[in-house]
Amino acid sequence: MSDSKKERPLRSAMRRKSCRNKKILNLAVSMGEELLKNGGEIYRVQETVCRVMEAYGVLDFQVFVITNGIFATVHENQEDAGSMVRYVPLGDINLEKIAGINQLSREICQGSCTVDEAMRKLEDCRQIPPIPSPLLIFACGIESAGLCYLLGGRPFDCVFTFLLGMLLQWFLLAAGKRHTSKFLMNILGSAMVTTGSLVLYVLGLHIQFDRIIIGGIILLMPGVALVTAIRDLFNGDYLSGSIRLMDALLTGACIAIGVGAAVKVFQLLGGGVLPL
Amino acid sequence: MIVQILVAIISTLAFAVLFHVPRQEYLYCAVNGGLGWAVYQMCLDSGIGVTVSSLWSALALTLVARILSAVRKMPSTVFLLAGIFTLVPGSGVYYTAYYLIMNDLSKSTSKGIETAKIAGAIVLGIIFGLALPQSWFNRLGRVTERNQDEK
Repeated sequence: MSDSKKERPLRSAMRRKSCRNKKILNLAVSMGEELLKNGGEIYRVQETVCRVMEAYGVLDFQVFVITNGIFATVHENQEDAGSMVRYVPLGDINLEKIAGINQLSREICQGSCTVDEAMRKLEDCRQIPPIPSPLLIFACGIESAGLCYLLGGRPFDCVFTFLLGMLLQWFLLAAGKRHTSKFLMNILGSAMVTTGSLVLYVLGLHIQFDRIIIGGIILLMPGVALVTAIRDLFNGDYLSGSIRLMDALLTGACIAIGVGAAVKVFQLLGGGVLPL
Repeated sequence: MIVQILVAIISTLAFAVLFHVPRQEYLYCAVNGGLGWAVYQMCLDSGIGVTVSSLWSALALTLVARILSAVRKMPSTVFLLAGIFTLVPGSGVYYTAYYLIMNDLSKSTSKGIETAKIAGAIVLGIIFGLALPQSWFNRLGRVTERNQDEK
């Protein structure tokens, strides 16, 4: 190293610079990846990557982001060009991580953060512990019961919605661990809620089974995908917006299939006797 | 009405937990959700129909989310996502599927179209809210910052 430094100081300086460029590229793209994975909008990802690069003095670069991938290249004076492609599958929403990365990029832009520090902070962001499952299950129950009430259910119905909502979230968590396909999860989940409330109804409880089903399936609804799709489309990212919109529509269709199948089964079992 | 808004606040809070909203923002999220539902109910009471009510409440939610995002220095998505969920036409999807299975095609179609209309209204509300230039909200963020400094 020292020899080469003596012989070709210019070469070595360039290599150091290239090394630094790659580090910055890696940092910026990793931040973008984390944003995208946790449900950030495309323009936010793109802007974050650009700002981080510029903040560290890399000016000659290109970034292209779509819903499930990031492509970025740095080509400062051609010789030490570098590029990076990341495939990012659609994941669960985690707004805490998005807020964390947003904060980090703000710090980087203010210049109060070296590349290595930023990398460490990014790692901290990644390590944010997920909310414990019991709390998630409880929250889902509360949310289902609340929605059931808002959509015209009586407090008596809400009790059962609460239980079914907890059951649904438990199922989603268990299925998520086994990497079940998202569509299957939606179909089975909505079918489960429907079956549950119809069974209670058949058992003779005076419940409004439709309100319970609606409250239960709200969690599966593609509200987030829809909002993000709109934001992407509105920002001119038509391709990414379409991907998310397709996701939202297919999810909606899956929920309808699950509900429909369960209702149909009950109808057939009851031989048309059930006053559904 | 008060009970409804309280329930909306609690449900939004639950959604905030499910989406891993940062802990210090739970309260703001929940209030935004309650506000969205209050606007929705008031519009419904004044008799302008479900679709237009959804539009107004989505607009109100988006605007408040952007104000909060400027003041709290957070992405506006944080405040928007949890709040919007009380408006999502879940009942529409259910009834569309239900009537389809029951072979009541005319009811199924009308419910399906109504669902699409509500979803479209929410979308429009969000778009209107997002269309306002960011600089207005930034100014608001700076004003509140100055106030805090003076205190």
